[in-house]
Amino acid sequence: MRAENYEARNHPPSNEFEINFGPNHPGIEGNYALKVKVHGDEIVAARADGGYLHRGFEKLMEQRLWIQNIALVPRICVPDPAPMEVAYSMAVEQLCGLEVPQRAQWLRVLLLELSRLAAHLFTFGGHAATTGMYTPMFWGVADRDLLLDLFEELTGGRVYSIYNIPGGVRRDIPDDFLTRLSDTLDYIDSRLPDYDNLLFTNQVFVRRARDAGPVSQAQALDWGVTGPNLRATGLAFDVRRDDPYLVYDELEFDIPTEQPGDAWARTLVRRGELLQSIRILRQVIDRLPDIGGPIRAPIPNPLAWNVPAGEAYVRIESSKGELSWYVVSDGGDKPYRVHIRGPSSMHAVQVLEHLVTGCRIEDVAQIMFSLDACPPEVDR
Amino acid sequence: MTDTEQFPVRVEQPDRNGGNIFSRVFDELTAFCRSRSLFILHYCTGCGAIELPPAMTSRFDMERLGISPMVSPRQADILLITGYVSVKTLKRVMLTYEQMGSPKYVIGICSCTVNGGMYWQSYATAKKLNDYMPVDLYIAGCMPRPEAVITGLRQLMDKIAAGEANGWEDYYRRYDYYLGHQQRLFGETWQTPTDVIAEARHYGLFGPETLGDHTRLLEQHQAPLEALEMQLGLGAPDEVKA
Amino acid sequence: MNDAHLPVERLSIILGEVKEVRVTQKGPRRTRLDVAADALPALLELLKGRAGFVHLSAISCVDWPDDAQFELVYHLWSYELNLLVSAHTRIDRDPGVYVSVYDIYHPAGFFERDIHEMYGVFFEGAPDMEKFILTEWDGPPPMRKEFDSEGWVNDHFDWQDYRPDWLLELEAQGGGVMIPPDEQRFSRRGIEDNDDAG
Ligand code: SF4
Repeated sequence: MRAENYEARNHPPSNEFEINFGPNHPGIEGNYALKVKVHGDEIVAARADGGYLHRGFEKLMEQRLWIQNIALVPRICVPDPAPMEVAYSMAVEQLCGLEVPQRAQWLRVLLLELSRLAAHLFTFGGHAATTGMYTPMFWGVADRDLLLDLFEELTGGRVYSIYNIPGGVRRDIPDDFLTRLSDTLDYIDSRLPDYDNLLFTNQVFVRRARDAGPVSQAQALDWGVTGPNLRATGLAFDVRRDDPYLVYDELEFDIPTEQPGDAWARTLVRRGELLQSIRILRQVIDRLPDIGGPIRAPIPNPLAWNVPAGEAYVRIESSKGELSWYVVSDGGDKPYRVHIRGPSSMHAVQVLEHLVTGCRIEDVAQIMFSLDACPPEVDR
Repeated sequence: MTDTEQFPVRVEQPDRNGGNIFSRVFDELTAFCRSRSLFILHYCTGCGAIELPPAMTSRFDMERLGISPMVSPRQADILLITGYVSVKTLKRVMLTYEQMGSPKYVIGICSCTVNGGMYWQSYATAKKLNDYMPVDLYIAGCMPRPEAVITGLRQLMDKIAAGEANGWEDYYRRYDYYLGHQQRLFGETWQTPTDVIAEARHYGLFGPETLGDHTRLLEQHQAPLEALEMQLGLGAPDEVKA
Repeated sequence: MNDAHLPVERLSIILGEVKEVRVTQKGPRRTRLDVAADALPALLELLKGRAGFVHLSAISCVDWPDDAQFELVYHLWSYELNLLVSAHTRIDRDPGVYVSVYDIYHPAGFFERDIHEMYGVFFEGAPDMEKFILTEWDGPPPMRKEFDSEGWVNDHFDWQDYRPDWLLELEAQGGGVMIPPDEQRFSRRGIEDNDDAG
């Protein structure tokens, strides 16, 4: 923390230098860079530098058919791809006025929550690794792999599932899938005490993470912080509850919140969400067998599909925060304009720049991981 | 910049069919040892990188093959291009590649490195990695599973042990070709801090195609390296701190 | 939320005070507002101050070359009313200058910077209009409709050789690729003929 009366200009410049933190740096999340100016080991200025993962998604999508874009969209956020597919499909459905069958909606919830679980396990691992603890990373990634196996069984893809299409989902669950899902959830549940011992009650971690990169609630609202990072400042807001989509209004879940808004609180909120996701998935396991019906609504020939002119704004709670898609159609067979607002575009640029200024160099990686910033989402 | 030439250096040109039997045995031993201890540069360029953590950690555990991540390009053996490379990244990748010490190997993971993959229409990503640097092995797939990554790495190990993974020599021998593609994409004034031509002489890999039109263009534009200026002012934009 | 009014009604009362705004109800929680470019900042200020629309979810820019206009859409969310309002406005494509709303909403800093590099719209008063993603790009703003991404790609890159010798050998033995990728890409059909340089 920088002292109140600290004035960097008064210090001799010999110990001031600039560090390129990334893109080729083990402490940075993904392919992203942060230029920091340090004074001793304290950061006095920081500037985010993105675009290393820029693929021009928004332009690409304007050049492809509505249905082709389905294969493209999960690539926007690599650790948590499912919300992208769902959001895009929901936007197209809104434009066409398609009614999604109940069963498909439940299957989407299943996919979304599985993806959230996987993403959170990954984040714990990454966050722990930035504080020098590699065991949680090894465990988290290995446990996430069990979820990826479920993805593979359900959708055919380990990471990018391409499971949702406008109108519904591609296929129904395989036989006995729910039993295996329930076993996996039990296993993850049984692992939580281990994680608690290793990470969440580990003094090495707790002391590092406490007071690192604190955000107050007012600041969070001011900067457009969303998702777990916002809930870590004490505001119980979740798109799933307050702007419900799919069948989230029929499901029971709590919104975990924490107070101080530092890296520690953010991690705790994610831990709480892990439990809530397991709870939601258990409800899905209970209720899915009773929900019959088709898994997708009939759509016109997808290769000659002119979506009616209009616009749709879809918001979803991804594991990183509020994800929204603005899709405009001019009545053609390709989208006219797609705008993707990834939650990380706030967290990884302005918020990160502000949070690392004044902290020490060893906390930069930790702050970035605790914000769960996802660079591909920023660069698109 | 050519004073590297003054250092004596043992040039390894394994002569597989003839030569001294002891040096042949020694070369093979070197190649075998090299293939059993590989360090991957920790640089995730694209979305294929998400399958590396599973491949490295408990489940698939690459370390049992003697492969582990390395943070500095100077000490790394393998440059793993995990997926699409945007033009901005490609510049950094080129710098990194030239910084790595020889012998060095490049693996292109993902379809995007082969032909642009699903971003073939995109203005921002490079399409064919082997235009810009020699690639020893491609692992296709979108994205390749950890098993595929590990199989690919084992194949690379076999290639190294057999002395066939010498793409890095090609970079020196045909520098003009690679530089030409880099200049086409990055502009004529493209220049890296590494003096590749001097290195080629140093390793004894200077060939007829090392120099050409593109290297002449490089010489015209080449500016001496200077220390970079500090870019960040002290007045960080923290007025929004409430 | 213990207000007697429904959120939508509360919003419409506030909006009643503003002239020249067209309100369209698009869904239970979605409202579309169309407003002239010079009235937009005042409207945002009012929404933020009076109706608790403190969260700027996104600013989207849509290019309408036929009308020679850019459409700017400000998506606002109110944590109090649980409502989403999209304020649409149109500015001229040329010269493409608008005022920044950074003073009202800090997240606007990122979106305006993004729109600036992708569309070339300049926002007066924005704290930072430097490039972020396209720092090493010297072409035209790529998201404009007239920018032809595929043409640019054809000019700058070579395609992978889909008929290498080893594949021909495989094909002679009855294997190989069924339809070569350059024939599969239907949007590229015909490019090769009329664009020999590419
Ligand atoms: S091949 Fe697929 S997974 Fe790999 S970088 Fe390209 S899009 Fe991503």
